[in-house]
Amino acid sequence: MNRRWLLLAPGAAVFGALFVVPLASFFAMSFWSVKAMRVQPDFTLMNYAKAFARYGDMGARTLAIAFAVGLATTAVAFGFAYVIRFKAGRLGPLLLFMTLVTLFGGYLVKIYSWKSILGTEGILNSALLALGVVDEPLTIFIYNPGAVVVTLVHFLLPLAVLPIHGSMRNIEDITIDAARDLGARPHEVFLGIVLPQCRFGLLVAFALSFLIAAGDYVTPRFVGGPYTSMVGDFIEQQFSLRFDWPMGSAMSFSILAASALAIAAAAYLTRRR
Amino acid sequence: MSALGRDTAWRFFGALVVVFMMTPLVLVVLFSFGANPVTNFPMGGLTLDWYRRLFDLDYFRPAFTNSLIVAGAVGAASTVIGTMAAMGLKHLPPRQAGIALLLASLPVMLPALLIGIALLSFFVRVLDVPLGLHTVVLGHLVITQPFVVLIVQARLATMDEAAAQSARDLGATPFVAFLTVTLPMARTSIVGAALIAAAISLDDFIIAFFTIGSGNTLPTLVWGMVRTSLNPTINAIATILLVLTIGSTLVALHSSRYRG
Repeated sequence: MNRRWLLLAPGAAVFGALFVVPLASFFAMSFWSVKAMRVQPDFTLMNYAKAFARYGDMGARTLAIAFAVGLATTAVAFGFAYVIRFKAGRLGPLLLFMTLVTLFGGYLVKIYSWKSILGTEGILNSALLALGVVDEPLTIFIYNPGAVVVTLVHFLLPLAVLPIHGSMRNIEDITIDAARDLGARPHEVFLGIVLPQCRFGLLVAFALSFLIAAGDYVTPRFVGGPYTSMVGDFIEQQFSLRFDWPMGSAMSFSILAASALAIAAAAYLTRRR
Repeated sequence: MSALGRDTAWRFFGALVVVFMMTPLVLVVLFSFGANPVTNFPMGGLTLDWYRRLFDLDYFRPAFTNSLIVAGAVGAASTVIGTMAAMGLKHLPPRQAGIALLLASLPVMLPALLIGIALLSFFVRVLDVPLGLHTVVLGHLVITQPFVVLIVQARLATMDEAAAQSARDLGATPFVAFLTVTLPMARTSIVGAALIAAAISLDDFIIAFFTIGSGNTLPTLVWGMVRTSLNPTINAIATILLVLTIGSTLVALHSSRYRG
């Protein structure tokens, strides 16, 4: 028995038994049916038909919000990674360090905090009142898609900065100096060298933020309000309240497939020509 | 725009992003010490009252202990398994190792909701095992293992093979060579990976929520509290959560000297 396979075995077991198999059996469940409140094995496409017919609007809204989040997160993360690499000088490592520190902590804390910032009696409103900008609290900051986008961009930003920074770090100073010496103007350096070199990092950042936003349910629940329910909300309810697991499964894989298509389209549209 | 103006504009943008990233976290910590029961300015003086009240709640301690148990188990298990996997990957042809790494990172790219409910239905319907802290640990292994493999693998890739090879040439078994040469050299990265895994576990709400059955970890407790009431003890528990997760990330970054 080869030693490398022994070393890889436990990791492969976790990956297979706790990721691939559960996901596959969960996928199979999307073809099951519910009769008399009981989930039973079946082979029906009803769940998918229902997902598209009844919840198509919700799916479209979810994809639109996920797209906005993906685009905004990637743009801000690119700008920030650009500052870290080219403009912050000695502060660059510190900015990167700050990004890393907030990466692995505070999912619920961040969302909860945005609720207390954006709320009608929240910090933003009281600041505006104190400054005399408005006479009474504004209700436009929370319980709408905008609040969901802001909160998710904040949560996903550190995650998006890292892959972009990773590709930007590979750009050699000498390449840029050479381009400048040959007479390239700043925007030509930017469009001709920086942007193309970051393509992979940008795509990874966009894909990660798009997918995670499309599957989130905590953020819309906290700051989205009653008219911004997303697919994640609906799926979570199938498991906590309604116990229609096959429907929840069909919705999960529909939104996953749609997200994968959107990401593939983004990769295709930004391909090198 | 002049070059100088452009630089200033970029720096201003950078400062704005920093403010945007940090403000929500700073506010939560700040208000956990504020006397005013509404999370808003003015804070009305400093107090430790919310922490006192939190420690008096009979459901806080079990949740706190549960979180530490799960994070400890996840940190230990995923570090052993992930380090083994990283060692194994080193012996694969680069192309195969690359594909394996990409596959291994898949769980991180999917929404936690999907992993949580897939595991719930797997544990309940397929395996028919009771839910509890052990199922949370298993669930967290899925999302922490990729990070451990990536971090340790990155360290092993930059390590000089010669030292371990000479130990082998001098008659050390592979295991002894690992313990006496490779492990000490990669130690800081392995410790860092363990702490990152613990931080991810401490922070996870979604997978814990679906796989815990009854009982609470700190994040599921926060979720329950936010849904029933809004009071500053939530800021206190959120601050504790932040100190734990950001604290272990800080130590991890320091120990592994990881700089992006």
